[in-house]
Amino acid sequence: MKKSLVAFFPSSERPDAMPGVETLDVDAFVARYAEESAPLMWIGVVLGAVVFTVTPVFTVYRPLPSFWLSRELLDRHTDRLASHPVYLLRQMVFLLKMVGGICWGQHPLVRERLALAPYPEDPPRWRTS
Amino acid sequence: MADIVSHRAFTEDDVEVDADYVVVGSGAGGAAAAVTLARGGKTVVVVEAGAWRDPDDYPVSMYGTMRDLMDDWGSTITRGRALWPVVQASAVGGTTVINSAISVDTPDDIFEHWRTEHGVGDEGFRTSVLDHERRIADELTVSEVPPGSLGRSNELAMIGDKKLGFDGHVMRRYAKDCGGSGQCLQGCKGGRKQSTNLQWIPEVMTRGGTVLSCAPVKRVVFEGRRATAVTGRFRHPSTRKKGGTFTVRAREGVVVAASATHSPALLLRSGVRLPALGKFFRAHPGTGVMGCYDEIVDMNFGATQGWASTKFRTEPGLKLETLAIPPELVAGRLAGGGSKLMARLESYRHMAMWVHAVRAESVGTVANGLFDKPVVRYTLNDADMHRLRDGISKVAALHFAAGARKVIPGIHGFPYEIGPDELGLLEDAPLEPRRYVAILSHLFGGCVMGTDRARAVCDDTGRVFDYENLAVADASVIPTNLGVNPQHTIMGLASHFATRWLNEGATT
Repeated sequence: MKKSLVAFFPSSERPDAMPGVETLDVDAFVARYAEESAPLMWIGVVLGAVVFTVTPVFTVYRPLPSFWLSRELLDRHTDRLASHPVYLLRQMVFLLKMVGGICWGQHPLVRERLALAPYPEDPPRWRTS
Repeated sequence: MADIVSHRAFTEDDVEVDADYVVVGSGAGGAAAAVTLARGGKTVVVVEAGAWRDPDDYPVSMYGTMRDLMDDWGSTITRGRALWPVVQASAVGGTTVINSAISVDTPDDIFEHWRTEHGVGDEGFRTSVLDHERRIADELTVSEVPPGSLGRSNELAMIGDKKLGFDGHVMRRYAKDCGGSGQCLQGCKGGRKQSTNLQWIPEVMTRGGTVLSCAPVKRVVFEGRRATAVTGRFRHPSTRKKGGTFTVRAREGVVVAASATHSPALLLRSGVRLPALGKFFRAHPGTGVMGCYDEIVDMNFGATQGWASTKFRTEPGLKLETLAIPPELVAGRLAGGGSKLMARLESYRHMAMWVHAVRAESVGTVANGLFDKPVVRYTLNDADMHRLRDGISKVAALHFAAGARKVIPGIHGFPYEIGPDELGLLEDAPLEPRRYVAILSHLFGGCVMGTDRARAVCDDTGRVFDYENLAVADASVIPTNLGVNPQHTIMGLASHFATRWLNEGATT
C-alpha cells in the first residue's frame, strides 16, 4: 500500500517542489489508519492497492505488477489509472488516492509550504460525565 | 441516573432509564424537539450514536474529523449509477457540528407545495413553523458573516456576483462573531458556531433530562402498535467495540430524529411496515468547481462558507455558494495522479472552490443494510444532470467574472482546466453521472409527512400512521427538496411538532 500512496504523491528532484508522501511519515500514517479506520474503509483501501498493483497491463500495457515498473512508467500508470475510462477501476483507486491525499495534505511540511499553521494533535477526548 | 451516560463496557451493568419522551438523535431535529419538550416540563432522554465532544475536544484535521465526527468515517455512498458520498455526522449535535451553520427561512413556495401536493399544513402550520424559525434565529444568534471574517475566496465571489448580477448575499449563519477560522467542517473550536451540542442539549440536561452518548439505537420496542422504548448497545467511540446494553422506556412518546438515512433504517429494522417508509428520499447533490487566480487566495483563511446566491433556485433549480476545503481534501479532489497531480497541487494557494447544489427532482430509497448501515439508492435523472452541468457552467462563469485565469470543472473526460474563452464547452459536457465527483449534503425524505398513506409515513405533526406513541422529527419528514440549506426548516418543523405534542397530549 505504501508504494501506491507514494506513487500518487511522489517526490520530485526539483528543489522547490512540494514534498512527496514518502518523506511524510507514510509508514506511521498507514499503521494508524489500519488501526483506527472503519473496517469497510480499510478493506476498500487495501483493495485499491491491489488493483493499483495488478493493472499496469491496462494502463501502460506492461504485464507487470506496478512495483516492477520504471519510475517513469509508474508515474504514467498512476495518472492513467486515476483517470481511467472504466468507472469501477477509477473508483477503486479513488479511496486510495483520497487516503494518500489526507496523509500528504495534513503533514506539517506540506502545510508550511501552503502557509498554513501545522495541525495540533487531534484530542482523543469526549465527554463521559 | 446521571444526566449524561457515555460508553459502558459490556461487563458493566445495563442502563435502564424511564422518561416521558425518548428522542433518538441530537442533531437539528432531535435537539429542537428535545428542548421544546423539556421546556414544556417533560422529562426527556436524548439517545445519540456518536460521542459528545466539546469545542476543546473537536479534532482539527480532516482525518480526525472523519474518525471522530463523521458517520462511519463518511463511508456511506449512494448505490446507483454513480457512487457519491452521503455526508453526515455522528456526534452529539449531529451534523450541526460539522456544517457551515447556514440559516435560511423556509421559502413560501415550499409551504404552498407541501399543501397542494402533499396535503400538509394550513396557514396555521406555516405561521407556526415560521414563528419557531424566527425564535430559533434569535436564540442561536443568527447573523451575517462579519466583513472582516469573509476571507478572499468569499470576497472574490462577491466581485463576480456584482459583475454577473447573480443577486448573491453574505450568508446568515448560526454563528456568534464568526472569527473566520475556516474550521466549520471540523467543528468550530472557537465555539462561535452555535451547534446543538452547545445550546439545546445542555439545556435539556439542566431541565432534568438525560443524554446517552455513544449509544446507537438498535430498535424501537413495541407493545402491539404502541412504541414503548428504544434499546441498543453502547459503542466505544475509538475502538468501536460494543459495550453494555441500554433501554430507555418512554411513557408518552418515542421520537425518531436520527437523520434522513438512519430514521427510516431504524424504523424498518424495528418492524414498522408502511408502504412509504424508506421511499421518496431526496437530496441536493452538488459538486465543486475550482477557480485558479493569479493572486493568492488562501481559501482556508476566512469563513468556510460566506457567500451564496439563490437566484437560480426556482429555474433551473440551483443554489450557488462558496466552500473552502483544506489541502488534504483538494489532493483527492483534483484529477490525475503522480507527478501531474503534484504539479497541480502546487497551485493550491491560488485556488478558490465554489460549489453548487442541485434542487434535484430525482427520488431514491433508503433501506436497512448489514450492520444497521443505511443503504441509499439514488441516481440523478437526465433533467437533474442537465441542472448539475448548468450549475458547473454558472459557477465557472462566476469565477471568470471574478478574475480567474483558469477554471477546473472536475468532469472526467473533459479538459482538466478551461480558460474564459472556453466556457461554452461546458454546454456540451457529458451528462453521465459517473463523469462527476459529487456529494449529497442536504438529505430529505424516507419518512415523509403527508395525508396520503400510500405516499406518506407521518402526518403534519410527525406522528407515524397506524402506530401509537411514535413520531419522527427530522429531515426525513420533509417531502420535497427545499432548494436552500435545510437546518432552519428542520429545526422549525421539529419545534412545531413538539409544541403540538405538548398541546395535544403525547405523540398518540
